[in-house]
Amino acid sequence: MVLDVFTMHKTFTSKNKVIEFSSEELFFSLNYQNTISFDHFKISNSNFVNSKNNELLKIRVENNFIPNNLIKIKKVLNETNNNYKICSIEFSQNYNRDLFKGRISIVQKKPNIIDFIFQLSVKWKDDIPKKILLKFPFLTGLYEHKNFLKPGYVFDKNKSIKKGSWNFHEYPPAMISDPNSKVAVGVEFFDQFPWQANYNLGMYEAISREGFEKYETEVQLTEELSDVVVMRLYSSSEGRNEVFKLWKENTRNRYDLRKYLKSTPRWIEKNYLQHFTFAYGKEAFDYKSCKFKINEIIEEGKKFGGYDSIIFWHQYPRLGLDKTNQWNLYRYLPENYKSIKKIVDLCHLNNVKFFIPFKPWDVRANESLDMHAKFLEKFISETNIDGFFLDTMSALPESFLKIQKKFPSFEFCAEGTPKEQRQIEQLTSSWDQIGDIRRNYKVEIEANIFRFVFPEHPLNLVSRWSVGSDKDAIIKRAAFNGTGLVIWQDVFGCWLPFSKTQQKLIKQLKKILVKFHDIFFGNNSIPLIETLSSSIICNQFANNYNNKKIYSIYNFTSKKINGPFFNIDSNADIQVQQIYGKLSAIKIQKTKKTKSLCGTIGPNEIILVHVRL
Amino acid sequence: MNKDKKIFIESTEYIYRAEHLTLEGTCSVDHGPKKFKIKNMYVDKFPVTNKEYFDFVKKTGYKPKDSQRFLDHKPNKIQSYFPVVCVSQTDAIEYTKWVGGRLPSDEEWQYIAAGPDYNDWPWGDQFNPLYCNHDNNSLRPVNFYKKASSWCGCEDLSGNAWEWTAGIHDDGQHQFALIRGGSFFYAQDHWHVGGGARKTNFHWKLQLLNEGMSRAETLGFRCVYDA
Repeated sequence: MVLDVFTMHKTFTSKNKVIEFSSEELFFSLNYQNTISFDHFKISNSNFVNSKNNELLKIRVENNFIPNNLIKIKKVLNETNNNYKICSIEFSQNYNRDLFKGRISIVQKKPNIIDFIFQLSVKWKDDIPKKILLKFPFLTGLYEHKNFLKPGYVFDKNKSIKKGSWNFHEYPPAMISDPNSKVAVGVEFFDQFPWQANYNLGMYEAISREGFEKYETEVQLTEELSDVVVMRLYSSSEGRNEVFKLWKENTRNRYDLRKYLKSTPRWIEKNYLQHFTFAYGKEAFDYKSCKFKINEIIEEGKKFGGYDSIIFWHQYPRLGLDKTNQWNLYRYLPENYKSIKKIVDLCHLNNVKFFIPFKPWDVRANESLDMHAKFLEKFISETNIDGFFLDTMSALPESFLKIQKKFPSFEFCAEGTPKEQRQIEQLTSSWDQIGDIRRNYKVEIEANIFRFVFPEHPLNLVSRWSVGSDKDAIIKRAAFNGTGLVIWQDVFGCWLPFSKTQQKLIKQLKKILVKFHDIFFGNNSIPLIETLSSSIICNQFANNYNNKKIYSIYNFTSKKINGPFFNIDSNADIQVQQIYGKLSAIKIQKTKKTKSLCGTIGPNEIILVHVRL
Repeated sequence: MNKDKKIFIESTEYIYRAEHLTLEGTCSVDHGPKKFKIKNMYVDKFPVTNKEYFDFVKKTGYKPKDSQRFLDHKPNKIQSYFPVVCVSQTDAIEYTKWVGGRLPSDEEWQYIAAGPDYNDWPWGDQFNPLYCNHDNNSLRPVNFYKKASSWCGCEDLSGNAWEWTAGIHDDGQHQFALIRGGSFFYAQDHWHVGGGARKTNFHWKLQLLNEGMSRAETLGFRCVYDA
């Protein structure tokens, strides 16, 4: 909903020093009588602060908090300038002859997005800095509210549980929702560069993990006011799903995504199944004939629904035995480079793309990335390979960018999902890699938030060491997130194959990913949508027109769950069809006011439902 | 230097226990501790040298079926007494047959290096970088580290060049061989094969492909002979 009404007013009476700020969904009143505190932090009609936790800020110098009674209000500003609304309080505190100054501002320049800005400076009496720590008591109140959801969490009966994850440097918002309406607010401590001095230091950690009760952030202040915390609020009267969309839209807005938006579709968008071909084993190599078994691999791939690409892997764990580098090692394969060319030709005959890996850790002291780019260019010309897999990397080196100018269809895929803006813009495909062999890693079925923020960035899920039930869980996780997979069965000499049942499930999943590509990779997808039933989690995939959707619904309990699962807002007729998972008697249940998706899901089962509006 | 010197190893039983630093994956052999019977045998004091191997090639006309990288290190005269490298396990076996010997097993190699006192290094329990070609960027001739012989008098067991041991291990899905001793070469990264001289109880799992991939500029061998 777009805000077209905005009101603010201030009161400068000596008895009642209060400044108010309201939007359609939110209302704040700041009291600066003694200290600066919230009288109200209202979402719709519910107040989210209490008298115990209503102060905005506490400053600790070494071991002592500055007493509240030392605060002096210097200036109060309350202005509207076209669409830019600002309300701010400037204050000073003199403590043991150290002079602190501060400004707390509430700013709105976009409908439904409000920034809280905390700025501080200090003039030390003897010019020798002391340790300064900040606390934000009102955040403790918000964090402890029963309607507060940490980023990536969902409600499960009376508690909240983690069901989402991400590993890029955009931090999804925490959510607060009004218990009496659909109004929801996202709370974000945006932070493009996590190590920037004096800026949202550790706030994201606090809001996503430990909370604010004991949290204190350390700042290094100067005599100029500097930003120490910026909290961004996203509000919507249409619930958490809309808040996520608002955050996503705002986040994506600064990205240059031209590399993803080529006029002709990029083949890597449909790279659903990628085979990791470990050369040193009987899956890939016939020791008698001394030849690679690419035909057999491609044939075997049909059991999974057909491989879209293979990564040929023969350098690790062999590099380093002598000075031979990663490129020269191809010379010693059977038939030299020619064996690679033959394999590539065979792959292309079968519509399978071919990757070779790049090992950044093997760039020797006398080599440069430009030099490796030249090797790669030569290699592409000689063998016609389709892509370069960036081992251990989550970024595309600038030296390799020119390759795509000469070979426009050449693609890069990295082992790690890109984390920073430039990496996301330039590196247009990666693995969604999870797992840790050393720590009894359990594959969790949870939403990968990155995948929903940047659906145009294809991901292949992989958990190399997972076996048994964890392999089942990988397939469920891929289905839940609508991502492709890496079929990696020979892990550097450990044979960890998928079972026939698992092969069948992957085959089904791939068929669905192919058939409903426009829905899975459309730009209206939302992770962890609001549900009507605890014990399930649900992602919504939607095409660009928002009229075809797929819901992935996962019952994370060990009990059968009966719907309704969630409401579907539509005045039009709704057609539903289950397309994956054990049959669940899916139907639309109508009441006077709502339509909801109903059915039955078995314990730890996942289903996918296609909905046409 | 008496290059033909063979050292007698008397039959005995010892407790075999090997260590294997895995990067990722497994080394699916029994690393012990287990009792292992050593039969009477002789062992060459030094690894096979370039001169010896080139003599063999010259005299027998040996040509591997797959000659990729075979003797690619192209030694000059000065390097005649450097250990021969760029030989596959098959190339090594062919030589040992010609001289009436064989490659030592992984267990035999360890006994030759560690001896009845289970030394960590051929010369004792303390590492001494002056006793081996540990990080000198190139091979050195055999018999260069005279003080560094093992309990039985064998030299060059740690560092300089890795040594093939006998046998191809097959775990049903993969074939691999075990190599011993480490080499002079250090690659820079922890993802590389660990470089430098290696302890007497250490073996590396070399996963096998074709012959070309089995030949390396740091990998040679020595012979043993059944007595």
